Amino acid sequence: MYKMKAIYVWLTMMLMMTALAACGGNNGEQPGTAAEGSDQPASESPASAPAKDPVTLTFLIPNTDDVTPYNEIFKAFEEKTGNKVEVQALPGGDYDNMLKTRFSTGDFPDVFLMQPGTKQYVKLRADETLYEWSGEAGVWDNVIDSIVEFQKNADGKAYGVPFGKTGMMGVFYNKDVFAKVGVEPPANYADLIEIAKKVKAAGITPFYEGVKDGWPTQVFYLTGWVSQVDQEIGDEGVRKLDKNELKLSEIAALKDLFVKSKELKELGLFQKNTLSGTFDELQNEMGEGKVAMAFMLDGILPQLEKKFGKDFVRDKIGFFPFPSATDTGTAMITPPNQLMVPSKAKNLEAAKELVKFMISSESVNMFYASHPGIPIFKGATSELYPVQQTVQQYIDSGKSKVNVQNRLTASFLDLGKTLQSFHISGDVDAAIKEMDTNYVKDGNSKRLEGF
Amino acid sequence: MERKKYPLFFSFPAIIVFLLFFITPTVIGIYYSFTDWNINADEIKFIGLDNYRELFNEPRLKKAFTNTLIFAAAVTVLQNVTGIALALILNEKLKLRNLLRMIFFMPYVIAPLVIGYIFRAIYHPEHGIVNRIFDSVGLDSMMQDWLNDPRFALFTIIVTDIWRVAGFSMVVYLAGLQFIPKDLTECASIDGASYWTRFKHVVFPLLAPAFTVNVLLAMIGSMKVFEIVMVLTEGGPGYTTEVFYTYIRNTFSSGEMGYATAINMLLFVLVTLVGVPVLMAMKKREVEM
Repeated sequence: MYKMKAIYVWLTMMLMMTALAACGGNNGEQPGTAAEGSDQPASESPASAPAKDPVTLTFLIPNTDDVTPYNEIFKAFEEKTGNKVEVQALPGGDYDNMLKTRFSTGDFPDVFLMQPGTKQYVKLRADETLYEWSGEAGVWDNVIDSIVEFQKNADGKAYGVPFGKTGMMGVFYNKDVFAKVGVEPPANYADLIEIAKKVKAAGITPFYEGVKDGWPTQVFYLTGWVSQVDQEIGDEGVRKLDKNELKLSEIAALKDLFVKSKELKELGLFQKNTLSGTFDELQNEMGEGKVAMAFMLDGILPQLEKKFGKDFVRDKIGFFPFPSATDTGTAMITPPNQLMVPSKAKNLEAAKELVKFMISSESVNMFYASHPGIPIFKGATSELYPVQQTVQQYIDSGKSKVNVQNRLTASFLDLGKTLQSFHISGDVDAAIKEMDTNYVKDGNSKRLEGF
Repeated sequence: MERKKYPLFFSFPAIIVFLLFFITPTVIGIYYSFTDWNINADEIKFIGLDNYRELFNEPRLKKAFTNTLIFAAAVTVLQNVTGIALALILNEKLKLRNLLRMIFFMPYVIAPLVIGYIFRAIYHPEHGIVNRIFDSVGLDSMMQDWLNDPRFALFTIIVTDIWRVAGFSMVVYLAGLQFIPKDLTECASIDGASYWTRFKHVVFPLLAPAFTVNVLLAMIGSMKVFEIVMVLTEGGPGYTTEVFYTYIRNTFSSGEMGYATAINMLLFVLVTLVGVPVLMAMKKREVEM
């Protein structure tokens, strides 16, 4: 009995010591960082020499983005300034909401990556929360003029600094499969369907749709928009949509996109289990030649490169836009992401210094070396993949259009969910009505004029 | 014998904590459900019943409401049936009885999120163990996409949750069984009562307090289901497994705080409307020993 008591006492003491050890420690600082002077602006130290009192900056990024090039840039930044950067990758699907929640609780990151467009300024109430860059020296000199304009809102203010590359969405295809079946990229939409039928007859899945993930299903509609909806409503129609003077359900060409998607399903041109389709499986199936085509964004390229190598992406992957009824269609491009700094960031000066470092030619070239893409910086060099060269040709010939989501202030809220339901029910009218309702709801929630 | 009465102020610390951390947020929540509180707006305005009017015209909420009721009813019934069965079996003198009790209770102490991730792998249409078993015994036709097929998704979540919580019911029933005097069941046995008759007329009536606790906890818990749905299907595919809390989460995260609070209030009323009559009905049939 005495022995047992002694054991209990020892156990209790050990537990208490463990708890105390866990409570103590680094006063909330990151391991290996200096605790003192952490709110000292880093810019007071010369950028070329490490700061005397280095700080740790927080950088938020969606986990759907590859952090490799960012880590390389941040390593170089640390070597140059002594300041560390802690990368926090948040879930892509909840990124905006988690960011807004952190803003509303005053838990500001130092720098964060955001999707393109001035609509983000509205979403984040930029005039109250974000640092304004339009008059900042050393930021805009190397940015391509059209991108500079795109960054500014109606008042000429820019709350984000563009970073990355011009993105693209459309149809990515496996060239080996096309060669095996003996088909070429389509001349129009009817041609696309014929190609898909031939692929199916050869025992290969024509299209892969990642319905389970939700977001991949949107690409069909967004790429289809620039090739056929924009032709019907024009820029004026988009302006009316932006002011809620036009309803999505009134656009015949949009309804036609839903009809076309339903037709693909009814013709059996998607993979067998569309509802369990994921982005990850798409990469595997396309890489292995089991799938011929996918409506997708260029985010698939680094993933394919990781799994199948650079040569595969360069030699075996092709691209064409969503074809229209009469021609090869319009290439859909997405403006670059943007770097934003909260005006109440804990290390505001160091954060600004980081942004400037990230857009320096040294960093930009470092980024393009691991993420080749159509550059947005003057004098930047990037080895383009053939699929990106295809898009560049469309841009050069004036056959490209920016993603409608980047031209509208309100968003197509929960479109992925709407399209999942549409895949189950096949009810075109219900789907377009829901898309319309959610769009208005988002405009209303953002307190936009006209909603 | 007169019971000793303690001074009233002994309860003050508990009352203060209760007022501060439960009553105050609840009252504030009720107020916010009548406002247009939105993360994108500068000011919060009182809008009366507008949020509630909007609620009743929302088809997605109707789906969430139906799914929540189906889930709650199925889980409450099956969790208790399984719990009683396990408790009766593990109340017998079996070898490894304590080990088995621990094994059946263990899922309850694992976080629902972890269980969700494990079961996502188990239900995987191609590599999951469920379909692999069907395949290996030649039952190919039984192989399904358990979580992504709208016909099976809700059913699959229900089964997973029952696996998770049945052990808890078992423990409560086991505790109840320990309080039933052995001489009562032995008398019934001597009188020639079968096992089923003994259970129906002796054991089950005396298990009534445990039954009340289990049914009530299961019902309230399952009406507030969230994590297991979130991690297994996120309310999908589409809205086929949407429940109250996945809808509330979605609304909260789109910044509509006032509206989301109104949905929460609706759920609060619903739980009360279902819970109180059930509690009263079951209290009536409890037997004093």
